[in-house]
Amino acid sequence: MTDASAPNIVCANPVCRVAETGKCVEGMDLDKCPHYGRSPQPSMPEPKESVDGIRLAPGGTLNIGEAEVLLRAGETRVIAVIGPSDAGKTSLIAGFYDLFQEGAVAGVEFAGSQSLHEFEHVCHDARAASRRGTPHINRTPRGEVRFYHLDVAGDGDDALLSLVLADRAGEEYRGAIDDVSFVEGFPEVRRADTLTLLVDGERLLDPGARHNLRSEVTLILRAMIEGGAIQSGMRLAVVLTKKDLIYQSPRLEGTEADFADLVATIERQCEGVFSAVRPFRVAASPKTDAVRRGEGIDELLTFWLEPAPTVPTVIEPAPLPDRVFARLSPLDEAEERP
Amino acid sequence: MNERSVVIVGLPESGKSTFLGALWHLMTEGDKDTVLRLASLGHGDRNHLNALASRWRDAKVQDRTSTGGNRLVVMNLADRGGISLRVTFPDTAGEAYQHMWEERECDSDVADTLKGGNVLLFIHSDTLQAPMWVVDDAALSRRMGLPHVQNREVAWHPRLAPTQVQVVELLQFLRAGPLDTGPRRLAIMLSAWDKVAPEGLSPAAFLDVKLPLLAQYLRRNSRGWTSRIYGLSAQGGDYDPIEADAARKPQAEELRKLDRPSTRIRLLGDAPETHDLTEPLAWLMV
Repeated sequence: MTDASAPNIVCANPVCRVAETGKCVEGMDLDKCPHYGRSPQPSMPEPKESVDGIRLAPGGTLNIGEAEVLLRAGETRVIAVIGPSDAGKTSLIAGFYDLFQEGAVAGVEFAGSQSLHEFEHVCHDARAASRRGTPHINRTPRGEVRFYHLDVAGDGDDALLSLVLADRAGEEYRGAIDDVSFVEGFPEVRRADTLTLLVDGERLLDPGARHNLRSEVTLILRAMIEGGAIQSGMRLAVVLTKKDLIYQSPRLEGTEADFADLVATIERQCEGVFSAVRPFRVAASPKTDAVRRGEGIDELLTFWLEPAPTVPTVIEPAPLPDRVFARLSPLDEAEERP
Repeated sequence: MNERSVVIVGLPESGKSTFLGALWHLMTEGDKDTVLRLASLGHGDRNHLNALASRWRDAKVQDRTSTGGNRLVVMNLADRGGISLRVTFPDTAGEAYQHMWEERECDSDVADTLKGGNVLLFIHSDTLQAPMWVVDDAALSRRMGLPHVQNREVAWHPRLAPTQVQVVELLQFLRAGPLDTGPRRLAIMLSAWDKVAPEGLSPAAFLDVKLPLLAQYLRRNSRGWTSRIYGLSAQGGDYDPIEADAARKPQAEELRKLDRPSTRIRLLGDAPETHDLTEPLAWLMV
């Protein structure tokens, strides 16, 4: 049964679920969104026939419009993976996918992907077929944000959930430190359910580089906050990458202490900004077998999949009827006396 | 007569043509109790089917160049109740499916056949391209005391993707975009089962262990597949190459000595092992 008193919320963006979630799919304030309050428009076109044959789904990363179609289609978690260059953003995304090649991850199973072709491409240089001496992942080129897609489902739970993982060149996030207005061009951060901030373990190990790293990481986060990209209810994962290098280093304890101190600083600076802040340590694509490949990603996945916190939506009260009689409502029945 | 069609899908050399040759032999010979049987030879050209069956009886491999391009195979079958079924199988070269994964397009004729019905998917169980990682490969070399000789870097090509990834994408193609015809039944035929049977796994367990990404995809049933998994040994062993001067395989010689070629066929599913290749077909035609 529908609530006749609830306002009819519409949005011109066909993928926006503002009526259900109260959140703009592009992460904007409702009064600033150009689509809010207007009628929906058509969705993505079907693949067309080419000269040589029928074009099939490209299997690559998705652009923002294609990602929005997924958001509209069902239960979704948007994960923005941010951090300076070479922090391991693409390695994390690729390493996450690669774990499903061998089975379920933290009780979560693979159910499909629109990005299989690109996942395979990006994983190639860590695979034996590349005949490399050490695993390698190419840096993400500058340009528009791109989204990797995975459908997953948990143990004994048939409900599918789409994970949309945003990847963007680290230089662009680094640029937000110099000019906060850059943040306006990061829709993936505004729409994220979980912001995943990477801390480069290799740089944190380096006594000469660690101070600048800490500064960069905290300033990137600060730029996101001041740039208005952090939405109510968003979670923050602070992820120490390249755990394999740290665990083989004589500076293990010092680096662990540096990371704990950085997390404490972030928690202090971001008090009340995020609904949760949690640290993780991962080895997405280790250079040696000192730690398990993909170690720590299972815990991160569990955090990513946590239900999105409900955002309180301000609902305008229905106008009072003109006639006084129509304003009357039935009294609660008197409680039965013993 | 009822019309049925079954879509036969599989990467190159996954056992599709061998299956058709063995099936046609089984139907024409009629020496085994089968769920479906041959109702009539019917009109039309049976040359392709007869050639497939002939090579199969001779224990010679089904070479793609000799089977030639894409063919539509028609069999007039009948079920145990006497209901006649005209069954069509598109015998499409595995290269067409590889092309779909690599180039993200398919020929219009192939696309039409792929919309034809429920799906018989072949996977060669003994030539799986499993995912392996640089770090694991290096560790294995070290443990075995072997040098990890690399630095002959190989550039990315989609063909290098693991078998399970290519197969999952094929199934995703069939349930999306221009090839989607709604939920379908899927019989997975793990061919060359005799090669992997000594591992002692059931076909379903084999899928879990050797093709876990595909197993997860099917278990989550995210795209409306209803699936069954079979281990299939349609050849019964190694066959001779078709070249006249090629060395003969001792196993092929042994197979030719069998009085009844139909006994080479072994199909293992949920039910006890059988020679009946029509059991999965009958399930697909419901």
